[in-house]
Amino acid sequence: MSSVLSVDNLVIRYRGGLFSPRPKPAVNGASFQLAKGETLGIVGESGSGKTSLLRAILRLLPVESGAIELEGRDWLALKGDALRRARQKIGVVSQNPFLSLSPRLTIAEILAEPMLAAGGPQSPAMREKITGLLSDCGLPADFLDRRARELSGGQAQRVAIARALALEPSLLILDEPTSALDVSVQAQILNLLSDLKESRALSMVFVTHNLKVVAHISDTLLVMRRGDVIEFGRTEDVTRAPAEDYTRELLSFGRKAVAGA
Amino acid sequence: MPLLEIKNLSVSIPTPDGDVHAVRAVSLDIERGEIHGVIGESGCGKTMTGMAALGLVPKGARIQADRFHFDGEDLRENAVRLRGRRIGLISQDPAAALNPVLSIASQMDDVIRAHRDMPRRARRAEAAGLLAATGLPDPERVLRSYPHQLSGGMQQRVVIAQALATGADFLIADEPTTALDVSVGAQVLALLRKLVAERGLTVLMITHDMDVIAEACDRATVLYAGRSIETGPVDDVLQRPGHPYTRALLAALPDAAPHAARLSAIEGSIPAPRSTIAGCAFAPRCPQAMPVCAAEPPPERGNDGRRWLCHLPEGTR
Ligand SMILES: Nc1ncnc2c1ncn2[C@@H]1O[C@H](COP(=O)(O)OP(=O)(O)OP(=O)(O)O)[C@@H](O)[C@H]1O
Ligand SMILES: Nc1ncnc2c1ncn2[C@@H]1O[C@H](COP(=O)(O)OP(=O)(O)O)[C@@H](O)[C@H]1O
Ligand code: SF4
Ligand SMILES: [Mg+2]
Ligand SMILES: [Mg+2]
Repeated sequence: MSSVLSVDNLVIRYRGGLFSPRPKPAVNGASFQLAKGETLGIVGESGSGKTSLLRAILRLLPVESGAIELEGRDWLALKGDALRRARQKIGVVSQNPFLSLSPRLTIAEILAEPMLAAGGPQSPAMREKITGLLSDCGLPADFLDRRARELSGGQAQRVAIARALALEPSLLILDEPTSALDVSVQAQILNLLSDLKESRALSMVFVTHNLKVVAHISDTLLVMRRGDVIEFGRTEDVTRAPAEDYTRELLSFGRKAVAGA
Repeated sequence: MPLLEIKNLSVSIPTPDGDVHAVRAVSLDIERGEIHGVIGESGCGKTMTGMAALGLVPKGARIQADRFHFDGEDLRENAVRLRGRRIGLISQDPAAALNPVLSIASQMDDVIRAHRDMPRRARRAEAAGLLAATGLPDPERVLRSYPHQLSGGMQQRVVIAQALATGADFLIADEPTTALDVSVGAQVLALLRKLVAERGLTVLMITHDMDVIAEACDRATVLYAGRSIETGPVDDVLQRPGHPYTRALLAALPDAAPHAARLSAIEGSIPAPRSTIAGCAFAPRCPQAMPVCAAEPPPERGNDGRRWLCHLPEGTR
């Protein structure tokens, strides 16, 4: 299987203050691959380096050493306009849907934004595409003219996902996409993500601190702790036989919460 | 007699657009020495129930109840006096509960001085002892620290130590682990369990996370649209839920389905907080709803310690 994303021995280090000692790396030699059409789950406690890793993959953060390949290309070598264009190949969804959507814009405007920014002409075809995106994300067309501030958390997260898909990315990055949602709504969003994975052969990176959420939908699982990758493998293998106590602890938390389990 | 007795509590908040029915009919009893979980979706009235017991409802709010008593005292008159003496609050955001510009030592000392007649030295030793009781490894170092120098888990332990310093024997913990990592949250829950066992504390644990209920609570009450719709021992509520809403919440959990299988989501959303509800509030979303459900309030099912409200005859699944 060809990999969409391949990360090799990546080291990310923030700069310390002028006279302070060099800080420890935020990500300390991460290596993993993501196959096309698969979902990689990344789990770890606060400060373990998850967001830093995502920001480096988005080229929003310089890398100290190591390599990233996106669809076979040396991703770290791209610069300027070529980088800006290529970055459209990655869609992003973040934790708080309300912070990421402008409250005063209509949903149609929010979804048109990335297409217009990429130089697409305003046209009936674009409106049609937007309607299609919205319905793929489980919202009827009458949402087009509503405003973001009128949406529930789950509806806003659907819009954020639709927007991330507007430029037909080959990779979708989700940073804690369900952490601000109730379990009932979380289930809707997880179902939506599996539908999209099927219908669009989407590759996804799903970051969360809730191992049980991501274990449910991911094909491979990566566990980070204090900048180190302490676990990486097929989800079944990691959840059946975790190599680390930390992973075991995350898996067993609240175990009996499942009726009949 | 239960330590906390709530029967048919309602809290209405007047607003320019009409009354918000934050709590419509909540009943629950909490026995001494138990951790009682209150669970439900966002907006169903969990926090407002806790705030009513603390006397912290918004100005103008109307509290009504058939019974609303703590250790025999009516909370409608005594909540403010009991808060900070016998009832303590542990909130979601420990950083906001601490003063950023004062050292932990001086914040602990303020609390101890206000509640106990002790010389300065003894207060310092008491502060260190309480911090140690919350499992903080180096209490002296913590006392010298400022809040920003402590992790979220350490801050939450300091807040718990402060509540203990007031002499509170009943803690209302509102989403105490939501802002913490799963592993740190698990440690804070273990601490609360230890304090319950060793000091006879009683805890009302407000959460939207079933895992927290499973991990920490003895009994649980499920709220929906401001009503307690099911209550009972945790094992019953989680393993043999009686109410269709409780079943739906549990079925939506990712570990309720095989890997990568579709989850059973609950379609629709909770009723608007200003609406009036004639029958069962869950009727518009309930897969088992019958014509009677939307029209008439559901009867009580179950027995003493284990009750739920539903028109379905007992034993129906
Ligand atoms: N802008 C920054 N400058 C300096 N250090 C930073 C910066 N952003 C993050 N760090 C540090 O890098 C490490 C990893 O942080 P990162 O944000 O990647 O963690 P995370 O796993 O996403 O955590 P969370 O679950 O809290 O979002 C931490 O030690 C953090 O303090
Ligand atoms: N100060 C307030 N003024 C008006 N409505 C409020 C206020 N606080 C809470 N509410 C409403 O009361 C209902 C219950 O809120 P809350 O107890 O905070 O729910 P939960 O803690 O279960 O999420 C919600 O509909 C909420 O919007
Ligand atoms: S009373 Fe009717 S609508 Fe309400 S939970 Fe029971 S079956 Fe469902
Ligand atoms: Mg992060
Ligand atoms: Mg709340």
